[in-house]
Amino acid sequence: MSVPAHASWWGPADSPPTALVLLSALQHIVAATTLLTYPLLVAQAAGASPATTASFISLTLLAAGAGTLLQAFRLGPVGSGYLCWPTATVLYLLPSLVAARIGGLPLVLGMTLAAALFEIALAPTMRRLRPLFPPEIAGVIVLLVGITSGAIGVRMIASAPPHSGPEAALSPIAVASFALVVMTALNVWTTGVWRIACVLAGTLAGILVSAHIGGDGGPSWPAFAGASDGPLFALPDVSHLGWSFDATLLIPFAIGGLAAAIKTSGSVVILQSACDPRWVRADMRSVGGGVLADGLSTGLSAAIGGLGLNASSVAAGLAAATGMHSRRVAVAIAMVCVLLGLFPAIGLFLTRMPAELLGATLVFSSVYLIVNGVQIVTSRMLDARRTFVVGLGLLAGLSVELVPAMVEALSPSLRTMFGTPLVFGTLTALGLNLVFRIGATRSGAFVVEPQQRDSEWIEARVNGLGAGWGARRDVIERVGFGIAQAAEVLFDNAEVDGPIDVRASFDEFNVVIRMAWQGPPLELPDRRPSAEEIIASDEGARRLAGFLLGRIADRVSCHERSGRSILTLRFDH
Amino acid sequence: MVVHEERIGATALLVPRGRIDSATAPALGERLGGALASSISALVLDLSGLEYISSAGFRVLLVANRQAQSSGVPLHLCCLPDKVHQLFELAGFLELFPIHAQMDEAVAAASAVKASGGRSAGGA
Repeated sequence: MSVPAHASWWGPADSPPTALVLLSALQHIVAATTLLTYPLLVAQAAGASPATTASFISLTLLAAGAGTLLQAFRLGPVGSGYLCWPTATVLYLLPSLVAARIGGLPLVLGMTLAAALFEIALAPTMRRLRPLFPPEIAGVIVLLVGITSGAIGVRMIASAPPHSGPEAALSPIAVASFALVVMTALNVWTTGVWRIACVLAGTLAGILVSAHIGGDGGPSWPAFAGASDGPLFALPDVSHLGWSFDATLLIPFAIGGLAAAIKTSGSVVILQSACDPRWVRADMRSVGGGVLADGLSTGLSAAIGGLGLNASSVAAGLAAATGMHSRRVAVAIAMVCVLLGLFPAIGLFLTRMPAELLGATLVFSSVYLIVNGVQIVTSRMLDARRTFVVGLGLLAGLSVELVPAMVEALSPSLRTMFGTPLVFGTLTALGLNLVFRIGATRSGAFVVEPQQRDSEWIEARVNGLGAGWGARRDVIERVGFGIAQAAEVLFDNAEVDGPIDVRASFDEFNVVIRMAWQGPPLELPDRRPSAEEIIASDEGARRLAGFLLGRIADRVSCHERSGRSILTLRFDH
Repeated sequence: MVVHEERIGATALLVPRGRIDSATAPALGERLGGALASSISALVLDLSGLEYISSAGFRVLLVANRQAQSSGVPLHLCCLPDKVHQLFELAGFLELFPIHAQMDEAVAAASAVKASGGRSAGGA
């Protein structure tokens, strides 16, 4: 994804105006009501009192605030450095509901702590797992996040209950469509504050238009009427604090931790590519730091009495869509989380946000994620192996969404694992990638005969190698040109009449080409010969070719030993 | 490589498609030389269909540019694909030829140079 070329793009280290920062933070909070609703569901499943339920929500919010800062500000190995803030997640919701029913909140807290430790233990291995996460799998992850969050958004819009009373004339679909039109129009045709805050503006527009149609002078949803329920200010009560463990729940929670690590990796990749127009591969140090911060956030939440957390992919999509990546927004989000934790009435208001408007937000942010994923996948050349990794990985993930009966047939622990398209799709792609590594080579060789010097044939050979390696298309194009150009000048202008041996190797960071032939070395001038020199003689044409080779490759050298010359072309990857 | 040729008024438009390497460059050189030898007031080379150009191809273009200058016919290039544009840039040839993004623009500019009796920009 390229960085938008306008003034309303703010990088992680940028300092946008305070009003813009606050609007962005508010927008993120509005789009992340699971932070309030999931703890509510778990506390209710545990049979907690209203006061304990409120405290459970507040403590989850406080942990999310701390986790937001841990992610955004890199402290040693901790943190991704991006606006990758954690919210309550469905990955921990399902096992937490089971734990809540079996052993109440102490079992939820104990098992969540175990999951956090598992995710923390995974974090240092992320750098070494890099070969398992080639860019096309990163693209599959981002695509799945985009498609599934968009699908959830559409479902929320379609299944939102109609509003009661005379205002029911305006259906939830119409309200969501209007909000989506406002968000999209502001994102496409405006800059500055309107573009940054387009989701918030669209949501407010949705509320207002519905209220206006309703004709009662205020928001028409009955839920809003009760927004002042509960105390305005309350310090969290920690009387429910306690940790217990149940070995039978270890697997579903460990799977939750693994899934959380994978999902965090996806969110960090989304933000890396959104912040860097020259992004070519995942920075695994930042990914590892993100996973560590994510595990610590969940651990902290469980330690102080809250629910498990995970880096929000919706937040990543929102940042990518609006172009607001400033860490100052992370500070503001953390402050809002603390505020919501201490003022339950405000949080209660947000939990009653109409489902269709949340759905519109999800649809909006998913658009950027989908395009981002496609761009990451297509940035690499794909041979048959990689085509299956991408295609089957995507299909496996979407099957969970499209054929729910397939998931329902699984045991609860397996359902926790395969119940989300992202995790199933990612695990499928990772598994296939591992299998297809069997027999895959990272080098190649071919011979260019004088009678087979066709540049198209040479490029086809190089493209075949590049696709097998999953190399960047733009780099392989340069490699193909370099070899074809060298062969042409050697046969036509350097009196080489024997075969040229070409050896190629790839290690993700470099493509190295070695061309060897019997005959004199090729001159590689630093200065381009003049037009007159090029026209006048073969010598000029040969020097032009040598100059072009020096420009097309990142490093080039040529030497002769015992009458055999070797040209080495190195390309950064 | 195939070369499509047409006339727009007194301006010749040549559109080579495919690859210009040592095998195909002589044929393009002949077409360019033939066009320049005919009674035209300007020559435009539309490179939109070009997939590849090697040093042999660049040499042919430089030869044609010199012929064009000596016969007072402006030679303009247009519609370079990104990959080809990058090669022109790497080789330092962007300054040697007047290059336009659109064909209409190139035809108008080349014709205007001839009409005003001026020289085309750049030169070998």
